[in-house]
Amino acid sequence: MRAQSGASRLVMVAGTVAALSVVAACGGGEGSPIGNAAGNDNTTAADGSVVLEFSQWWEPELPKGALRGIMDDFEKANPGVKVKLISAPYASTQQQTVAGAASKTLADIVGLDGAWVSDFAKQKAIADLSTLIKDSGYDDSQLASQIKVGGQTYMIPVVNFVYPMFSNDELLSKAGVNAPPATRTEFLEAAKKVTATGNGAYGWVLPLAQDAPNGIQNDVMSWAWASGGSMLKDGKPDVTNAAVTGVVTFVKQLWDAKAIAPGALTMKEQDKVEQFTNGRVGMMIDSLAHINLIRENNPKLKFSISAIPSEDGYTGKRGMPYASWGIGVSDTSPHKAEAFKLVQYLMSKDVNSKLSSVANAFPGNTKSVPDFVKSDAMFKTAFDIWNKGVPANEFTGLPTAEDLMRSFDVQLQETLANNQPIQTSLANVQADWSSKF
Amino acid sequence: MSAPTSAPPISAPVAPTPAAGRRRPPLAKRLAPYGYLAPVAALMLVLMILPIAVVIRYSVFDNVIISPTSVLVGLKNYVTIFADPLFRTATRNTAVFTGVSVLAHLLLGLGFAMLLNSTLLGRRTKTVFRTIFVMPWLLTVAIIAILWRLLLDPNGVVNYGLQSVGLIDGPVAWLSELNLALPAVTLINIWAGYPFFMVSLLAGLQGISSDLYEAAAVDGASWWRRFVHVTLPSLRPIIISMALLDVIWTSQQFPLIWMTTGGGPLDRTEMLSTYTYKLAFSEYQFAQASAGAVIMLVVALVLAVFYVRQQRARD
Amino acid sequence: MTNPTLTPAGSSRPPTPEAHTAPATETTPMRTVESRVPAAPGRRMSARTKRLLLRTGAFIGLFLGACFAGLPILWMVSSSFKDNSEIFAWPPKLITENFSLAAYTSVFSDPVKLRFFANSYIVAISVTVLTLFVAILAAYAFSRYQFRGKAAVNVVIVGIQAVPPITLLIPYFGLIVALRLYNSYQGLILTYMVFTLPYAIVMMTGYFNTLPRELDEAARVDGTSSFGALWRILVPISLPGIVSVAVYTFMIAWNEYLFALTLTRTDNMRTVPIGIQLLMGQHSYEWSEMMAMSVLGSIPVLVLFVFFQKFFIGGMTAGAVKS
Repeated sequence: MRAQSGASRLVMVAGTVAALSVVAACGGGEGSPIGNAAGNDNTTAADGSVVLEFSQWWEPELPKGALRGIMDDFEKANPGVKVKLISAPYASTQQQTVAGAASKTLADIVGLDGAWVSDFAKQKAIADLSTLIKDSGYDDSQLASQIKVGGQTYMIPVVNFVYPMFSNDELLSKAGVNAPPATRTEFLEAAKKVTATGNGAYGWVLPLAQDAPNGIQNDVMSWAWASGGSMLKDGKPDVTNAAVTGVVTFVKQLWDAKAIAPGALTMKEQDKVEQFTNGRVGMMIDSLAHINLIRENNPKLKFSISAIPSEDGYTGKRGMPYASWGIGVSDTSPHKAEAFKLVQYLMSKDVNSKLSSVANAFPGNTKSVPDFVKSDAMFKTAFDIWNKGVPANEFTGLPTAEDLMRSFDVQLQETLANNQPIQTSLANVQADWSSKF
Repeated sequence: MSAPTSAPPISAPVAPTPAAGRRRPPLAKRLAPYGYLAPVAALMLVLMILPIAVVIRYSVFDNVIISPTSVLVGLKNYVTIFADPLFRTATRNTAVFTGVSVLAHLLLGLGFAMLLNSTLLGRRTKTVFRTIFVMPWLLTVAIIAILWRLLLDPNGVVNYGLQSVGLIDGPVAWLSELNLALPAVTLINIWAGYPFFMVSLLAGLQGISSDLYEAAAVDGASWWRRFVHVTLPSLRPIIISMALLDVIWTSQQFPLIWMTTGGGPLDRTEMLSTYTYKLAFSEYQFAQASAGAVIMLVVALVLAVFYVRQQRARD
Repeated sequence: MTNPTLTPAGSSRPPTPEAHTAPATETTPMRTVESRVPAAPGRRMSARTKRLLLRTGAFIGLFLGACFAGLPILWMVSSSFKDNSEIFAWPPKLITENFSLAAYTSVFSDPVKLRFFANSYIVAISVTVLTLFVAILAAYAFSRYQFRGKAAVNVVIVGIQAVPPITLLIPYFGLIVALRLYNSYQGLILTYMVFTLPYAIVMMTGYFNTLPRELDEAARVDGTSSFGALWRILVPISLPGIVSVAVYTFMIAWNEYLFALTLTRTDNMRTVPIGIQLLMGQHSYEWSEMMAMSVLGSIPVLVLFVFFQKFFIGGMTAGAVKS
């Protein structure tokens, strides 16, 4: 009796699963309930003007009302077009964009990160901008860069956040270091000295959290780019080369010297900045956008910025890592022409200057000059570094870029925390990356 | 607001025939339970079974969502998942995380509920402590994660406290130490989840008839015997239901893990939920992620069968 | 757990009115027990000492528990009064020089944030009321009827929660868009009901099961309909259970983030957790404002809980007296 009822329970589970599968099978084509119903009810306003939806995470990052103000100006300049801003938290933007694309509810214009472009383009979520550029007769020579997938442009970087080295002047001088290090050897020495001063101070801070693995791009791979190195060869992964091996060896030296602030393995970019702001770390690689934040939160902190140290003896052009607020147009948007007008507007010389000024970023238009470059010595320095070097971010436009960073991250953690040989780690990364390309 | 699903069944159960006393229950009585279940059934069918069906469908295809053309691949995704060593690690971590969390939730919840139900304390004392004990429950998970990151930071207050009493020598990075990360996230989850057991068990304790305790006291039963023979058996249905549900919820806890450790350091806090998320939104392998979800569903259905059988045994 | 000789509380003997009217509303069962045990004069001293010891033990337990539960919260509240720059100050201080209410005023002066709170209330209250109603009906069917397919329905209701919401996100999103519930209160309310109903049903079934069948059957004999018996007899007695389910339901609806974000697109539909998450920027966090919003979100719920606490104490007694 008991055994029988046990068996019948199992049959029931099987039955339930089977029933679900039947529903699944009858449920029609994938995404069938999704299809045409897309929330397109809002594309025209009561007065007949076109309403463009612009989804981004920028609005909460900017001073209150700044982005809305720019949109109001755009509406004034383009009667008949209205812009509705849809803002979401940065950490969820990517996932929301994927979901939106899958159910065809993507906003007309979408804010993009370079790491997502390739995947969205493949998903046919975002439109090929090359065609729009051609159709509208737009002169794209003033664009600092365009992110291409398969030869076609899919994203235009609107503003760029450059990642130079920040150093805490006080901590460095206390440790007997008088100028920010310019080479890796100097950096290692300086980091060790700062750590040796005690009081919970550390030489460097390295965020390796896996939920936001962009530390690999900004804080690790940037060292390779700064010395002219690359992690790719002919567009294919090449992480076992001397440049990347050198960087990982260097990071491992810092780690073994205990010169990296504790908690690195789950640290995020936001924590990194807190550590620096509170005067606990001597040096960090970080976005220029943080200059004002650091000044605001710790007015007493004396710090300076300089180029990321290079390999000893390197004299070539320095790659300058950056991250962008990019922009793209939804492939399902019924108003692509109007949407591209907004893109053009944001990229125009004056508007782009204005946007970069409020965002503390560098412009995506080569002719734009943000205000702070004229008014602020520190930004001026940074702008010079930027102009002297070459923008470098090899992750932009790669397939599943975030996952590439994550798999590098995991292997780097193996090397740092588990003493896995560097060669093994990089070989693992190489194998994993190769399977993704 | 949700009238379409809940409106019709209301009328159904209101009119059971008064024809009691016949041998076979009248039709209305036999139909009554279905009437009572209709609103739930309608809601679940449309909003839960349907999406799950789509997920099951995804799990046997290739390149779903990301590519317009996907091919039926049968069980290939399941094979891939099972062959992935990270899947096994995630399963192991999830089992530890879930087992310890649920046990601790139960023990803490029961302990606090008993304390708060005891006669040793005055009414006001109880009110104050009940309020304090329930507080962790009031926070949204994002705040729980951020708050504990703040507390457990190498420069945070926990390290400060432990260092000043001399329990640790230097700052400890609780969430990124290889052997401490899993215990640390488990602790956070215990903190966040026990009030929920406590409240339910407290309600259950209130429901135990005092006659039972009186009878036990007359028999001269010790506190422990009363606890084992009266309290526990009376709470048993509640405990079993809560434990089962907690197992299901904890095993798919995502935001807490994601926002504290992201599955790291290395794979030390990788759970089935974070593993599935990375598959879906970082590798864009929605089909494999769906296969992972279906596996979790099947395990839960087996658990549910045990639960239902237990309910049956009680009847 | 496997002792078959002792049956669960109510199922063997119905609570008699006398048993429940006897103690004053705030006396709990165990006090009744002890006061009724005749104590021999010689044992009185030791009983008193024992009680004192027990009391001390209980207070130590309460104190430790309160530290575990309350200290992180205390830190959160303290952080909400700090300046952003002091969050990570070393040594950590509970109250800092720059103690300020700036975070709170900034929340209160932002109509968008206030709207988040209003939305959260609308959604959470609707979800709670609707969930309770639907769950009570379903639990009644599970507890009091035998019917074909009962076990299967039960398995499905309990089991389907195991699908990680994150994997359901995309098909679910499509469904809500197709049903034209995207960016609406209805969409959120129905979604949360799907999440809260399984627990509510399981728990309500559990509570109903602890109540003797004789209770409602007696009412049925008097000619009350099954529906009437449910609402007039079972529901009042089960108030403690219902309140705890209600609190749970409210909390889930109040704190949910993922679907709240996915299923809404404009600020006039968004809820508090999204408001909090919006303060976690790409590059930095608005610590004090996040904490302040969280404190503000918790207070009303806490007040509600304190208010409903009396049901945990008096609910059972009050319900039984009526019968």
